[in-house]
Amino acid sequence: MAGIWVIAETNADGSLARSGAEIATLARSLGEAASIEATGLVIEPDPAAAAKELATYVPRVMAVTEPSAADHTWSQVAAQRAAELIDTEGPTLILTGAGPDGRDVAGTLLALLGGGVLVNATAVTWEDGEAVEMSVFGGKLVTTSAFAESIGARIVTVRPNVVTAEPAASPGKVETAAPKGELTLPAVVIVERIEEAAAAAPIEEARIIVAGGRGVGSAEGFALVGQIAEALGGAVGATRAAVDSGWIPYAQQIGQTGKIVKPKLYLALGISGAIQHKVGMQTAETIIAVNRDPDAPIAEFADLLVVGDLFEVGKAVLEELGARKSTT
Amino acid sequence: MALRIVVLTKPVPDPAAAAEKLGPDSRLDRAASPAVINGNDEYLLEAALKLADAQGAEITLLTMAPAGGIETMRKGLAMGAHRGVLVTDPALGGSDVLSTARVLAAALGELEYDLVFAGFDTSDGVGGVVGAAVATLLKLPYLSSAARIEPDAEGGKVRVRRISPTGFDLLEAPMPALIVGTQLLGEPRYPSLKGIMAARSKEVVTKSLADLGLDGEQIGGAASATLVTGKRTPPPRAATRVVRGTPAEGAKEIVDLLASRRLV
Amino acid sequence: MRKVSTTPAPSATYRLTEEQVLLRDTIRQLADERIAPRAAEIDRTAEFPEDIRQLLASQDVLALPFPTEHGGLGADLLTICVAIEQIARACATSSLILIVQELGALPLLIAGSEEQKARWFPDLASGKTLAAFGLTEPEAGSDAAATRTRAVRDGDAYVINGTKRFISNGSVAGLVTVFAVTSPEAPRHRRLSCFGVEVPTEGFRVARLEHKMGIRGSPTAELTFQDVRVPAANRIGEEGQGWDIAMGTLDRSRPGVAAQAVGLAQGALEVAVAYARDRKQFGQRIGDFQMIGAMLADMDARTEAARQLLYKACVEIEAGAPDASRWSAACKLVAGDTAMAVTTDAVQVLGGYGYIDEFPVERMMRDAKITQLYEGTQQIQRLVISRALLGREG
Repeated sequence: MAGIWVIAETNADGSLARSGAEIATLARSLGEAASIEATGLVIEPDPAAAAKELATYVPRVMAVTEPSAADHTWSQVAAQRAAELIDTEGPTLILTGAGPDGRDVAGTLLALLGGGVLVNATAVTWEDGEAVEMSVFGGKLVTTSAFAESIGARIVTVRPNVVTAEPAASPGKVETAAPKGELTLPAVVIVERIEEAAAAAPIEEARIIVAGGRGVGSAEGFALVGQIAEALGGAVGATRAAVDSGWIPYAQQIGQTGKIVKPKLYLALGISGAIQHKVGMQTAETIIAVNRDPDAPIAEFADLLVVGDLFEVGKAVLEELGARKSTT
Repeated sequence: MALRIVVLTKPVPDPAAAAEKLGPDSRLDRAASPAVINGNDEYLLEAALKLADAQGAEITLLTMAPAGGIETMRKGLAMGAHRGVLVTDPALGGSDVLSTARVLAAALGELEYDLVFAGFDTSDGVGGVVGAAVATLLKLPYLSSAARIEPDAEGGKVRVRRISPTGFDLLEAPMPALIVGTQLLGEPRYPSLKGIMAARSKEVVTKSLADLGLDGEQIGGAASATLVTGKRTPPPRAATRVVRGTPAEGAKEIVDLLASRRLV
Repeated sequence: MRKVSTTPAPSATYRLTEEQVLLRDTIRQLADERIAPRAAEIDRTAEFPEDIRQLLASQDVLALPFPTEHGGLGADLLTICVAIEQIARACATSSLILIVQELGALPLLIAGSEEQKARWFPDLASGKTLAAFGLTEPEAGSDAAATRTRAVRDGDAYVINGTKRFISNGSVAGLVTVFAVTSPEAPRHRRLSCFGVEVPTEGFRVARLEHKMGIRGSPTAELTFQDVRVPAANRIGEEGQGWDIAMGTLDRSRPGVAAQAVGLAQGALEVAVAYARDRKQFGQRIGDFQMIGAMLADMDARTEAARQLLYKACVEIEAGAPDASRWSAACKLVAGDTAMAVTTDAVQVLGGYGYIDEFPVERMMRDAKITQLYEGTQQIQRLVISRALLGREG
């Protein structure tokens, strides 16, 4: 029995994560192109809410109630339960997110089931089979890949913002499944969950990102970055240099060793645009840079470069935004 | 008793050189670009070295790479790792994720260790899936996205602060375990010159697939589950408009562009 | 005296060893990430970069010249010069910390007793103590035999009186190797002896620091000695051996200055190339104009020629070549002139931007000038070479 499956992640409150909605939308469109049913999987201690939400995107959802996911790392538990169901139904394609949890699920599934994995897809289409696009070599090249014939599981990890989540015309059905096999992988216990007061909305999901680099100069300097982000309704991002200097948390870091983002707008303040940062943000739709150095590498790939002091220009942007707001 | 730590390291094309390209076989052309240790692996090596400084640890580098991989391993040895194991075999060219994981698992099977460390992902593959696959094949506890690693050698356990969307999860598992870590483990040290001089005399064992009891038909490039079917250069972005002027003029340009693209 | 080795020069010396390459790349990264960002400030404030000294010490860079049995790395001259070159590529002042550490210690490496080596080398190798080389005087520059500083034997000590000038790191050193006259009546080249003076000590004073055109973060001191008592156990080598020790030192230290010069040229070349690639005028990269392209080509070729002569000189000197002085003088002569020419051309490539401190090439040009002056002016190098060619009359 064929199928295009999505293993969906959830948020801390049990709702469907945005990546889950996006990948489910992708699975549905692939399913329609391939005439194969798209199926969503929610494996949680209490899957009901997320399963219902997921069913607005795909025709079929399997909800698995898995109590041990409450205090054990989710990816291991979810991968084992998913593997049992995959063994039974043999789906054509399995999609996960490309974030930390999605990767862990994909790697674990691969080892449990055998097969292949294509990572960090920037697009997946169907023409007589899957065509998985990946951006490689720091964005210099886009490759298209497929799976070989007759292998085990065919797993694809999908980057955020590859598609826009869109509900189906009519909601799908939610089934329950109860795989009962023994969990054979060693359990990793969650001893404690530590909330960080400052934890902001996940930056991968932001439509607008205002980011600061070395040029911001201090934690205080990021206050202005934050004000502009707030005025634009966006999130704050940063380069590794700013994070290493302790001005802003690692969660906000964009680039090779941080997050990879694809917002509508990327406003870069005091960011030179070194390759390690570029790979994290170059697919933004609009890139605007403010930099003192007109020869900074970011001049090569921004849409607009304003040469000047980021604080002076930044304050002027706030004033300009305020002025236009009050006149409209 | 000193901890025994194996750090998985991979030579990758130097991202700073930006000279990566695919060969005619659609595999990475490793000769086209200078190789360096994968940046994310260095954080784990640093974490291992800090543990060695604090409580004593024997650190082994495990690398699967072409024979030239030994050169990048030297840097890790110069930073302070004690020995290296290089798995190299012509049949491994074009290995997919599962082959890579199987080879690393087989090589680990011949080593004694309390902890296996791996980087968050590699700058050439960017998959970040090999660590989980190796842990699963070896049935090792798997702890990922580590911001801090605290082994308790006496108790035979390890605690890891895992980055979560809302903060951190504190994880605990028995050793031996496999840990995938992040940049938050701390900036890697420079190799000291004494370390460089000492690296020459450190042992690097080279192993082939046959040495590991693996078959080049079942594993490596010949057994790859994925294939590249096409490649294209992404369209270049439109030319950058450069604006010089007063801050107010610059700000007006920015807000005009935002307005024209319906972003405000 | 340092024994002249009978080992023949290695036949294949045209590539660095794997270890030298790793060392070079490590120091290059260290210099790019940690030293280059400080270079402009060091130049502007003209303050000795204590942080860079700590950095070089912690990474064992200062241990390079010292024997392994005393905490050093026992590096050969080529390896030391590769290290100096990489530091100088980012900051000539910072490279001088290693150059002077070697220079000041060379009298000990050449003629020191085992007891002296065991006493001083561990702290020099760890970078805890810095060394300085006290030869030049106000009236004895190129003519070192005209030294006036006196050392008079008094029991189991010597009493030193006199003034030394242009002493690099003279104000930050803990050990100064001082050359003084012990036998005024002896033949010209038998009058001097060498002493290890631990400072601070009574009667020793840093009289002033020079305001310099370049290498501004490296303190160049005038040192005065007024009845400074130095134990006889601190005499390096025999009485009257000072001249030979000084000349032997310069044979081995001039390649260090040549390495500094090559590093400066390379650094300036890289800035000029990057600029010529990025800067557009008349709608094209300025590097694509033939006049600029040709300048860059000449700068690169000259720098490489100087580097290769330096590397070869290092190998010959290390192998105990009988014409070590010629190799040493030739590599400094060529490298110093190359550094001056290439840094000047780099300023030219950058045009007006090259002349202001927004880019490092004006600093490099000012720094380069000293490599034509110290450890023997270019005129002295020519004298050394021509004497080696002609031999002494009679």
